[in-house]
Amino acid sequence: MTNDPIYDHLRELSWRRKLTAAEEAELRAWLAARPEAQPDWDTEASLNAALGRLPDVPVPSNFTARVLQAVEREAAVELRQGEPKWQFWRRLRWLPKVAFATIVLAAGLVSYHQLQAARFAEYAHSVAAVSDVSSLPSPEILKDFDAIRVSNPTSLPDEQLLAALK
Amino acid sequence: MSAESDPDAALMLCVKQGDTAAFAVLVDKYKQPVMNLAYRMLRDATEAEDLAQMVFVQVFKSARRYEVASKFSTWLFTIARNLCLNEIRRRSRHPVESMEAVHPGQEDQPPQQYEDVKTASPPERLLHGELEEKIEQAVAGLPENQRLAILLCRQDELSYEEIARVLGCTVSATKSLIHRGRETLKQKLKPYLQTGAWRDSK
Repeated sequence: MTNDPIYDHLRELSWRRKLTAAEEAELRAWLAARPEAQPDWDTEASLNAALGRLPDVPVPSNFTARVLQAVEREAAVELRQGEPKWQFWRRLRWLPKVAFATIVLAAGLVSYHQLQAARFAEYAHSVAAVSDVSSLPSPEILKDFDAIRVSNPTSLPDEQLLAALK
Repeated sequence: MSAESDPDAALMLCVKQGDTAAFAVLVDKYKQPVMNLAYRMLRDATEAEDLAQMVFVQVFKSARRYEVASKFSTWLFTIARNLCLNEIRRRSRHPVESMEAVHPGQEDQPPQQYEDVKTASPPERLLHGELEEKIEQAVAGLPENQRLAILLCRQDELSYEEIARVLGCTVSATKSLIHRGRETLKQKLKPYLQTGAWRDSK
């Protein structure tokens, strides 16, 4: 490892593919300035070449035909086993939407019922208040109120006594 | 990523509509890299062939769910990677019993003759060169994730970002896997790399 970003970048590129002419030139210039890195690069290049020599594994000429046959066989098995699972779920694809609508409707109904119940409670409270008023004494008892108040005026406060108490 | 920028994704969208001709085009294009990957992960030509076939069958079966979120090759190699790792795990859970193992009650019977798949298999027959054999062995000796990262790195069409997506890790972790794998290969192949034989013979 050189910890040089230019070298590291070029080296990582060389792991994946052959360097372009411009990249090769850049690398040569970089190595010319740092000859001590040449052995490391030589090993990298040798390993790249070695990995590049890994031969292709022979593929049978009828491979594609066999894959297509296997695919047809799979399809036939699915048919024999009846409706494929995905088709079953596809048919029920409306289910989540209906479930969501049901939940929203149920939530609306519950809210409406709670509102109604609150209103009834309020009415009941009002009726109770009115019924309490009806149990008060008859207004007849107040018919002489003014006369009594005038005939028995409240005495003025005894200011001397109040001062002494202070 | 759109189907216009990736022709393979456009073909896959046709496969999604049930177009088997488009599927055959994709199989033809990718059978070689998928076989190479499967063979180098499993080290068995017959199993690699079966697994490569499974990869494409899986691609066809998953076509209905396919969305153009990334390049087709990234998606394909992710399926290949998962099936390879599943197979390796299955092997480690159910190791193959030796054919030579003597079972109770069969001690007196002559040993059954089995075909030598190793010598009969065409891929192995072709991998005969000493240098190639050495690099094959060295790559086979790498831990699975490092081997997979190095093999995917040799796929021209995959960028580091795409390799990272296939491996399910970050780009820096991917580069680290490749670096560590390559360091191990350098150690194992040191005498061969120093001669420059590979570079000269290329």
